[in-house]
Amino acid sequence: MTAERGPSAAGAAAGLIAIVLAALLAPLLARSRPWFETARGEAVLSAPVPWDPDAIDLDQRLRPPGSRHWLGTDELGRDVLSRLLHGGRVSVGAGALACAVALLAGSLLGAVAGLAGGRTDRGVLFVLEVVQSVPALVLVAALAAFLPPSFFLAALLIGLTAWTDSARIVRAEARRFRSAPFVEAARAAGAPRARLLFRHVLPHALPPALATAPYVLGAAVLTEAGLSFLGLGTPPPAASWGRSLADARDVVTTAPWCVLPPAVALVLLVLSARRLGDALAERSRIRSS
Amino acid sequence: MLAYALRRLLSALATLFGVLTLVFFLLAAAPGDPAVLAARSSGTRPASPEAVAAFRRLHGLDRPLPVQFATWAARAVRLDLGRSFQDGREVRERLAAALPATVYLNGCALLLALLAAVPCGVSAARRPGGRFDRVTGAVFDLLFATPSFVLGLLLLLVFSVKLRVTPLFSDPALGPLGIALPVATLGLGAVALLSRFVRACVRTALEDPAALAARARGESGRASVRRALRRSAGALSALAAVLVPSLVTGSVLVERLFSWPGAGRLLADGVFARDVPVVLGLTLVAGGVVVVASVAGDLASAWFDPRLRDAGLLEGRP
Repeated sequence: MTAERGPSAAGAAAGLIAIVLAALLAPLLARSRPWFETARGEAVLSAPVPWDPDAIDLDQRLRPPGSRHWLGTDELGRDVLSRLLHGGRVSVGAGALACAVALLAGSLLGAVAGLAGGRTDRGVLFVLEVVQSVPALVLVAALAAFLPPSFFLAALLIGLTAWTDSARIVRAEARRFRSAPFVEAARAAGAPRARLLFRHVLPHALPPALATAPYVLGAAVLTEAGLSFLGLGTPPPAASWGRSLADARDVVTTAPWCVLPPAVALVLLVLSARRLGDALAERSRIRSS
Repeated sequence: MLAYALRRLLSALATLFGVLTLVFFLLAAAPGDPAVLAARSSGTRPASPEAVAAFRRLHGLDRPLPVQFATWAARAVRLDLGRSFQDGREVRERLAAALPATVYLNGCALLLALLAAVPCGVSAARRPGGRFDRVTGAVFDLLFATPSFVLGLLLLLVFSVKLRVTPLFSDPALGPLGIALPVATLGLGAVALLSRFVRACVRTALEDPAALAARARGESGRASVRRALRRSAGALSALAAVLVPSLVTGSVLVERLFSWPGAGRLLADGVFARDVPVVLGLTLVAGGVVVVASVAGDLASAWFDPRLRDAGLLEGRP
């Protein structure tokens, strides 16, 4: 839909890379321990954001942005910028993990269904329909309530709700190649089904599904943020954007500066993921026509 | 049409039963023992073994899992969702108390979204690449990427904190201002989705050779838009399957954000209290709403555009 506006793939990719880099480098960028110190423990070069994300300082509660805390502090005196950087690790990490799980599960199930056809195909389609019928956030929240709060479990659960689209795409592609001459030839030569699947069908069916990875990433990030906002997902005190926003809601009258950083970061991440997805879709459309 | 409708309804019933099964067994497979968790949630101390056993007996958790499932499913089919672990009230009763607020909220949001999205989408489609199209396109792209609770929080920041025109916590009892922010939050999200879709549909319809022929015959712009809208009605109805899940998710988050006393908050509260019947029931209701919306969308599509049905495009969602 955004095709003729020409989404700038480079800009989107740059935004995505910047956020991922900031998340990866957060433990270096934002920490109270200096980068270099003398033998006597004097800081020679401190980190750009010299605050630990979880360091509570009750004397510095709800300070507005200033030279000490660039983006201010929250209701426990924690540095907002430091929590923003570290919170990105949860959003980006959970998003990427969920995306990987979803693509893996989706393309395997889709390829098996498309290649096998018949009852297997109908079974997979039924499960797909069922999973798609429950909104991801509702399903994940319902399950997360009865599981120990954990980053990995949350990411896994999100991935297991997000595999349906890639499964549909891979299934459709696999059906196309099911009776292609080279698959028929391999089958006639006695290739086992696993070989047909991994060697002959998946390599052809996978690229269109991989092109949707940015969309899946964006959706997974949104679900994770919603989950954290509800207070599930990654347990405290770890910073995450969704939880920071839930905390900011409680102090919105006294500390409005707590709202914008995680909000902007979240929108930026999702927007650049979607833009990249648009650009990839556009490119594959041009190639196939 | 009738045969198709029956087939679609049957497949929807199967899907609904699948949802029921999936939700029940996933919750049953989760490691935490709901009896221990729920018995403890009423007090801070761990519950005594006797209390846990009594709780199990009370809610039938001591019976084998298949029996539990059969009992629960048989009741759920009769719309009896069991009793809440928290206060012993019937889930149906609690749901009936909360649902009107949610329906009211979503109804207002949807109405607002339709009123805004159709004119926006149509104007954008009439001059693709024009200034209006580019501006609204950029704004809606941004809105579309903004999670509902972030949007709501930003609106709250502007209207309740800076301008002080709306209350900090929304309540249907407070009149139009009390509901303005949650409605705007859900509505703006829906506008972004709807308007992009209307634009794409109308644009395709306007580029159709039939539209060109009509224009050559001297059809006015207004008439051709009306015709384009009518022609894309089939495609537009299919949107229900996308819009409704996003509204359900939005309701859960937005109701929590604004402390709106609806079904979404009931679900979130149930999740925190480890209240299995409430969580099961509401997840089922959420799934049911989505399935119903998708059936309604498919049937409307088939009604408006039989080609879609005959080409087998409506069996599952694309």
